[in-house]
Amino acid sequence: MSRVGSGDDERAALATMLGLPGMGPARLTAVVDRAGTAVAAWELVRRGDLAGIDLRLVQRRAELVDRWVQAARGLDPADVLDRHRAAGVEVLLPDDAAWPSTLAHDPEPPRVLFVRGDVALLERPGVAVVGTRRCTAGGAQIAGRFGAGLAAAGLTVVSGLALGVDGAAHRGALGAGGIPVGVVGSGLDVVYPARHRRLWADVAERGVLVGEAPLGAAPERWRFPARNRIIAALSLAVVVVESGARGGSITTAEEATARDVPVLAVPGSVLAEQSVGTNQLLFDGSGIARDVPDVLAALGVQVPVGTPRLFDVLPADGLPGDVPAEGGGAVGAVAAVLSAVPASVERVAAAADVSVTDAVTALARLEASGAVRRVPGGYERVAVP
Amino acid sequence: MLASVPAATLLGVTGHPVQVEVHVGNGLPSLSIVGLPDASCREARDRVRAAVLSSDLDWPPHRITVNLAPSALHKLGTGLDLALAVGVLVATGTVPAEAVARWAFLGELGLDGSVRSVRGMVPLVAGVRDLVDGVVVAPAAAAEAGVIPGLEVRCASTLTELVAALRVERPWPDLPEAPVVEEPPPPDIADVRGQALGRRAMEIAAAGGHHVLLAGPPGSGKTLLATRLPGLLPDLDDDVALEVTQIHSAAGATPSTGLVRRPPFRAPHHTASAVALIGGGTVAMRPGEVSCAHGGVLFCDELGEFPPSVLDALRQPLEDGVVRVSRARAAVTYPARFQLVAATNPCPCGPAPGGCRCSESSRGRYLRRLSGPLLDRFDLRVEIDRPEPGDLLGGEPGEPTSVVAGRVRRARARGAERGVTCNALLPTPKLDRWAPLTPSARRLLEALMRDGRLSGRGVERIRRVARTAADLDGRDGPLDDEQVAIALALRSSAGTAALGVAS
Repeated sequence: MSRVGSGDDERAALATMLGLPGMGPARLTAVVDRAGTAVAAWELVRRGDLAGIDLRLVQRRAELVDRWVQAARGLDPADVLDRHRAAGVEVLLPDDAAWPSTLAHDPEPPRVLFVRGDVALLERPGVAVVGTRRCTAGGAQIAGRFGAGLAAAGLTVVSGLALGVDGAAHRGALGAGGIPVGVVGSGLDVVYPARHRRLWADVAERGVLVGEAPLGAAPERWRFPARNRIIAALSLAVVVVESGARGGSITTAEEATARDVPVLAVPGSVLAEQSVGTNQLLFDGSGIARDVPDVLAALGVQVPVGTPRLFDVLPADGLPGDVPAEGGGAVGAVAAVLSAVPASVERVAAAADVSVTDAVTALARLEASGAVRRVPGGYERVAVP
Repeated sequence: MLASVPAATLLGVTGHPVQVEVHVGNGLPSLSIVGLPDASCREARDRVRAAVLSSDLDWPPHRITVNLAPSALHKLGTGLDLALAVGVLVATGTVPAEAVARWAFLGELGLDGSVRSVRGMVPLVAGVRDLVDGVVVAPAAAAEAGVIPGLEVRCASTLTELVAALRVERPWPDLPEAPVVEEPPPPDIADVRGQALGRRAMEIAAAGGHHVLLAGPPGSGKTLLATRLPGLLPDLDDDVALEVTQIHSAAGATPSTGLVRRPPFRAPHHTASAVALIGGGTVAMRPGEVSCAHGGVLFCDELGEFPPSVLDALRQPLEDGVVRVSRARAAVTYPARFQLVAATNPCPCGPAPGGCRCSESSRGRYLRRLSGPLLDRFDLRVEIDRPEPGDLLGGEPGEPTSVVAGRVRRARARGAERGVTCNALLPTPKLDRWAPLTPSARRLLEALMRDGRLSGRGVERIRRVARTAADLDGRDGPLDDEQVAIALALRSSAGTAALGVAS
């Protein structure tokens, strides 16, 4: 058993309490504030002596307290802390030297932060790239481009390791040799979504993995809004790539606004469901993020003269890459009607006023040249060369 | 006092000849049947005795032993009743032995002496074809029995009638008039409005025998397209027609007019069990849906809703063209060479009008059920979009089935020299010979392969489909861009694209 100093007693008590069912940052704060110290709070929880503390629960309050008492019975805080350390997870308190300075003056700082990887990386300037889990293929590509571009500019890329935009941004950053900062809702040993197991490991190894939940905590719904506030708090700016009208990335944008962190949104087609939220953000006054230089400019970073921007490299006819010379008219006509919104062959043929046979031939050539791609729902133009 | 009468029993979809041997000898009056009869076959004892007595004929007060030869073969069902009764009547001298020697008797008896039809008349008659000159059946079965050429068919509605005819006291009753059934024309592909790509896919499927996966939201016309495929297929040739007729007869469907010439269309519901789909059963083995679709089309709507175990069971018939069902008593093989047309929604909710409401994980789960070896069988994976309202309401009707079927027939004739029945079966080593590429088509495919958007196996499928497209266009020689492009347009589905699978 390791020697447990008084700081470690606090650490251990906080980590243990956060592992109780239904114990989130708000309830933890209520209990600790009443007790004075985390160690004293743990004693109150163990005894179920929580009368008069606002647990943000009117009904079934007794039931919750009862569950805590039950769960606390088998727990030894010193053991819990040892388990975290054995698993390579640091448990940070606001008084620690390693506590991220971005959280020092946060209006709603976490009481404790669980970290795997190099804590010092949290001191580097970072930009959050977030968005819907159900992004379009184009959205994933843009997210990857932002991840890579911001990483290349020396920024860390903060995101939530979720499916869709988040994962794509982290992959982009990793691909450019940059530093990803993953902020997750579950315990650092509970990979969610399971499909991102590999990505979690890469982020922990090459960057840093941060969360507010102790080992073993399940990815419960209520943990994610709290996670989003940490993403906003750790970042110099938040870029929303794609988002529906509501969703986690809108929460992140709201949390960022509350902290005076600039929000930028990637404009999208007004026809695309995945761009409703981002377009609304733009309407409400967010910065526009057409490409990485827009974000850098918003941060006041000097953009080297001659840096190609997306809207510079897109040729006037809207076709990046080599448009195949053969095929003549139909290829041009078909290319002209394609957009970032997928369209079926029949629709393309009708819009371009060519036969279905000519349309599929043109689409095959365009696909081979990389100018269009197949997605569920038909063909869409590839926006990023 | 011995008699031997030819008959047949059904195992799977094959009729096996059975010799019903009857011995009437001294001993306490009794009737025992040996030679592996099943329960319904053993009950013949009571039915036959009652039928003989009801017909005012004498039942011998002796010990009767019946042997069903070959003794090692399991006999199923009631079709041996008639032969058994005739055997007893011959053994007792009621009917002269020479009158029955070259006839097979196939039918069930009622207690009142009436003769009834049994399931599987076509394969039963086929089973005794080489052993006898003709068959005697119930009037209701006469048309079905007559499907097999080269055999005389006689009928009798009661045992009394039969005995009178065999003793030449009265002439054989007339065969009932074969009912004239006007086959309804197959659903016409002209009914499909819009959907140019979907219609083209069905035409290529018909010409090349390719399996088709249709993916699209509800109401996009997947079922409409699938039901049009049989109409595009050519008539079945003699051998297949006979197989199909036997299968349908064994499954209990009475062919109304001779051989089944048109490719069948079967659409099992997704709640069908593996046995219903594949065939089998513990006592009476019946052909499953895949065999009933032999020579035609098996349509699996809502493929993603079929239990994975059932989908797995489809793989063997898709591979081998036959189904092998093994049970404790017997193992049977059913023909099952069918063309698979499957339809699926892109996600569990449809997608609902106004956008998909499914979570990423449930959508992934839904589509993953289709992935892997089964998905690999589909040469054509077509994404179907909801048709434009303008096409539905006022659009020009497309080409009718008669025109498209003509093109399909000519395309199939072109493929005849390649040594396979359809392009879908072109073996990989033969592709360079039968499906070479023009340089520009080759460049097209190479570009897609370089990006990982097309796998090696995907290219093989593209070449087979492009070959069929070229056959339909009446073109020989190397495949050019246009044919490869149509194959490319028909290669992917929401499923594969969403899964990120190189197709």
